Amino acid sequence: MSEQLMTAQETEKPASGSGFTGSTDAQDVLLEIRNLSKNFGGLQAINDVSLNLRAGIITTLVGPNGAGKTTLFNMITGHIPPSEGDVRWQGESVIGKAPWKIARAGIARTFQDLRLFTHMTVEENVLTMMESGSWLWQPGGKSRKAKRLDKVSQILEKTGLTDKRHTRALDLAYAERKFLSLARIMATDSRLWLLDEPASGLDPNSYNLFLQLLREEVKEGITVCIIEHNLDIVVNISDRIAFLDQGKLLADGEPQTILNDPALAAIYFGER
Amino acid sequence: MLFLQLLANGLQVGAIYALTAAGFSLIFGSTKIFHFAHGATFAIAAYLFHFALAGLGLHWTFAVAVSATSAVVFGVLLDRFMYAPIQRHEGSFFTVFVASFGIGIVVQNLLGSVFGRGFMSVATPLSNSVEVMPGLYLSPLNGLAIVSAIICFVALHFFLTHTFVGKGLRALSENPELVRTFGLSPRRLSTYAFALGSLLVVPGAIFTAAGTGINPAVGHHVMLISLAATIVGGIGSLRGAACAGLLIGVAENLAMWKLGTQWSEAITFAILFFFIIFKPSGFFGRATVS
Amino acid sequence: MTAYILNLLVLISVYAILSTTLNFIIGYAGIFSLAHAVFFGIGGYTAALVAMHVTPEFFVAVPVAMAAAAVTSLLLALPALRVRGEYFVAASLGLQVLAVTLFSEWKSFTGGIGGVIGIPAVELFGYPVYKPWQFLLMSLICLTIIIVIIRTLVHTSFGRSLKAIRDSESAALASGKNITVIKTLSVVLSSALAAVAGALYAFYMSFINVQSFMLDTSVLVMAMVIIGGTATVSGPLLGAALLMLLPSALTYLSFLPQTEIGSIQQIVYGMAMVLLMIFRPGGIVSSHPGGSK
Repeated sequence: MSEQLMTAQETEKPASGSGFTGSTDAQDVLLEIRNLSKNFGGLQAINDVSLNLRAGIITTLVGPNGAGKTTLFNMITGHIPPSEGDVRWQGESVIGKAPWKIARAGIARTFQDLRLFTHMTVEENVLTMMESGSWLWQPGGKSRKAKRLDKVSQILEKTGLTDKRHTRALDLAYAERKFLSLARIMATDSRLWLLDEPASGLDPNSYNLFLQLLREEVKEGITVCIIEHNLDIVVNISDRIAFLDQGKLLADGEPQTILNDPALAAIYFGER
Repeated sequence: MLFLQLLANGLQVGAIYALTAAGFSLIFGSTKIFHFAHGATFAIAAYLFHFALAGLGLHWTFAVAVSATSAVVFGVLLDRFMYAPIQRHEGSFFTVFVASFGIGIVVQNLLGSVFGRGFMSVATPLSNSVEVMPGLYLSPLNGLAIVSAIICFVALHFFLTHTFVGKGLRALSENPELVRTFGLSPRRLSTYAFALGSLLVVPGAIFTAAGTGINPAVGHHVMLISLAATIVGGIGSLRGAACAGLLIGVAENLAMWKLGTQWSEAITFAILFFFIIFKPSGFFGRATVS
Repeated sequence: MTAYILNLLVLISVYAILSTTLNFIIGYAGIFSLAHAVFFGIGGYTAALVAMHVTPEFFVAVPVAMAAAAVTSLLLALPALRVRGEYFVAASLGLQVLAVTLFSEWKSFTGGIGGVIGIPAVELFGYPVYKPWQFLLMSLICLTIIIVIIRTLVHTSFGRSLKAIRDSESAALASGKNITVIKTLSVVLSSALAAVAGALYAFYMSFINVQSFMLDTSVLVMAMVIIGGTATVSGPLLGAALLMLLPSALTYLSFLPQTEIGSIQQIVYGMAMVLLMIFRPGGIVSSHPGGSK
C-alpha cells in the first residue's frame, strides 16, 4: 500500500445526509462518486470506488483491461444501475435517473466502439445532439435553426470534418469517425465529458489535433474524464490520475506520484 | 372431470411447447439469431414423420429417424446458407428476422402445396384414448409426451453442463470473445446450437402429428406460442422456457373450459402482455432493458 | 377492363398507404411491428361504424378512425417500447393474434366473422363519392398527403432523433433523447395514418370482415416495405405495386395450377425476402446496397 493511496482515502468526504455543505475543497468537485459497487452475477466489476472529478481539469482513469473503467462510465451515465453507492452531480444524486436525463443535466460521453449514427450524415450526427426535445418540431423557428447550423459549422471546422459534412458516418475513415464522436459531444454544451479511449489508434497528425482540441475545450471550462492507455496522455495531459484494478480504486492523485509508485507501475506496465 | 381432462391435455401440449421453446431459446441465447423459422422446422419434422409412417408405411422407429434427420438438416442448412451470409455483412436483428420469417412463409406454403392444406393426423396404437376415470380420457400418448419432454430436458441439462461443446454454447451467450480463447469457433458452435435446437422440436412434432393433428400453419402456431414462452420464461433461460411452455399449455386448455376454443391463443398473448408490462425479464431472465 | 384496372389501382393506393406508414417505423425508427393490420382494421371498423350510425362524412369518419387507432397503438407501445426490440416484435405479434380473436368475437363492433355489411358511400362535404375513379382520386390524394407528412417529419429534428435511435439506441440515450417518448410517438403516428387506409378500404369495399385484417395482411405489408426498400419514399410504393400486381401476373401464367396461385404468391415473396436479406438488405430501392439497417 502506497502513501499516496492512504492520502487518497483520507481526503474522502464522509457520506452524510442533506445537511452536508462541503469544505472549500469540495466546492469545485463537479462529480462525486461515493462507495460505488457493481456486481454482475457473481463477478465484482466495481468494488467500493469513491472518486471526485474536479471542475476544469482532466482526470484520467488508468488500469488494465477489465479493471472496470467503462463500467464506471456506464454507471455515471445511468446506462447500468449500480449495486450500491451513489453518484452525485453538482451535489445531486443521479442514481435511478434515466440516461437521457443525466445527459441533459450536462454529462456527455463517447463510446469505445463510437456508436455513431451510422446511416446519418456528419451534419445530422452533430445537429441531432443539439435537439433533445421529444416534440415534432424544435422551438425557436428558422433563426434558432440557423444558429444551430452555424454551430455545427464551427464544430466541424474544429474537428477537421468540414469537407465531410454531407458524408454518411458509415463512409468515414477511422480517424474521422473518432473526431465525429468528439464533434457530437461538443455539440451538447455539457460541462463534463467522459471520453472512452478517444486517442487509441490515431495517427500522429490526428493525435496532435486531438490534443489541441482537448486543451482548448478544457481552457473553455470543460471538465474531462478520460479512459486511456496511451502513456503520453497519462503523463503529459492529465491533471489527475485514478488507478483502477479489478474493480478497486488503488490510487488517485497527481500523475507523477502515481507513476513513481513502483507497485502501481508494475501493474500498469506489467499488463501492457 | 372436464377440469382434469383439460389439465391433462394442457400438460401434454405444454410439454410440447416447452421443448420447442427450449430449442428456440437455446439458439437465440447462444447465437443471438432470432430464429423465427424454428416453427418451420417443427412443421417439416411433423409432416415428414407423417409421410414416412402413413405415406411410405415405414416402421415408426424409421419414421422418427426421418423426422429427426430432416429437422436437424433443415436447421443446419439455414444456419450455413442463410444466417451465416447475412451475419457476414451485417446481421442486424432486423435482417435476420425478415429472412427467417420469409423462409417460414415459403415452407408453410410448400408443405401446403405438397401435402394438402387440410388437417391430418396419423393414428397409432398409442393414440387410442382409454377412459381412466368417468369422463377422463387419457391415451398413452399423453403420458409419453410428458415423459419424453422430461427426458429431453434432463439430457439437455446434462449436455450443457457436462460436455465441452455444451459449456461452449453456454459461454457463447455470455461472452463470444471468451469462446475464441477457449479454442472453439463461434461459427462451429452456432452449427451445434442449430442442430441441437432443431432436434428439440422432434418429440413435439411427432406427438402433434400422432395426436391432435397437423396442418401447414402448425409451425406458425407453435412458433408464436414458443416465442411467448421464451419471453415469459426469460430470454436465454431454458428452465424459464420450460416452465412458461407448461404454464401456457395448461392456461390455454383451461381457457377452453371457461371461454371456448377461439380464445386459447388470445389467452397466451394476454399472459405475454402481462409479463412484458410487469416483469419483462421473465421468470428467470436477467434485466433486459437495453 | 377499365373497372378491373381502376379497382387494382385503388387497392394499390390503399396498400401503399399501409406500406408507407409501416416504413415510417421500420425504416426510420427501427421499430419492427407485425400488428399493422390491426390498425388498418380498427380504422376500417371505426369508419364503418361512424358512417352507418353517425355520418358518412369523410372529415368526421376518418379523424375518429385515426383517433381510435392512435389510442389502441398507445396501449401496445407504452409497455412494449420500454424493453428490447425483440420484445416489440413479440408484443406486436401478440396484439395481432388478440385482435383477430376480438375482431371475430366482438359482434357489436365488428359484426363477428360475418363482418360489417352495407357501409354507405363516403361523403365529402355532403357529396357522395362512389364512382371508382373518384375514389381512386381520393385515395391518391390521401396517399400523397401522407407521403408529404412523413417526408417532412423525417427531415425535422424529430426525424433525426428517430434515425439516431435506430442507428444506436445507447448513444441516443447518452445524447439526451427520451427514446421511449420518441418511439411511442412514432408508433402512434404510424398507426393513426394506417387507419386512414382502413377507412378508405371500408368505404371502397362497402363490406369488411376480419379476413382483411389478419396476420397475413401484416406480413404482406411488411414484405412490401422490405422488398421495395426501407427508409426510402419510393421503396414502399414500389413494393405495394409489385406485390399487388403479383397475383394478377401469376394468373396470366397459364401453366401454373390456378388453385395454387395463393401459395405460389406467398412463396415468391417469402423467397424474395430471404434473397434480399442475403444480397441486398436495403431492398430494391436502396441508396446503399448491402448496408442498410
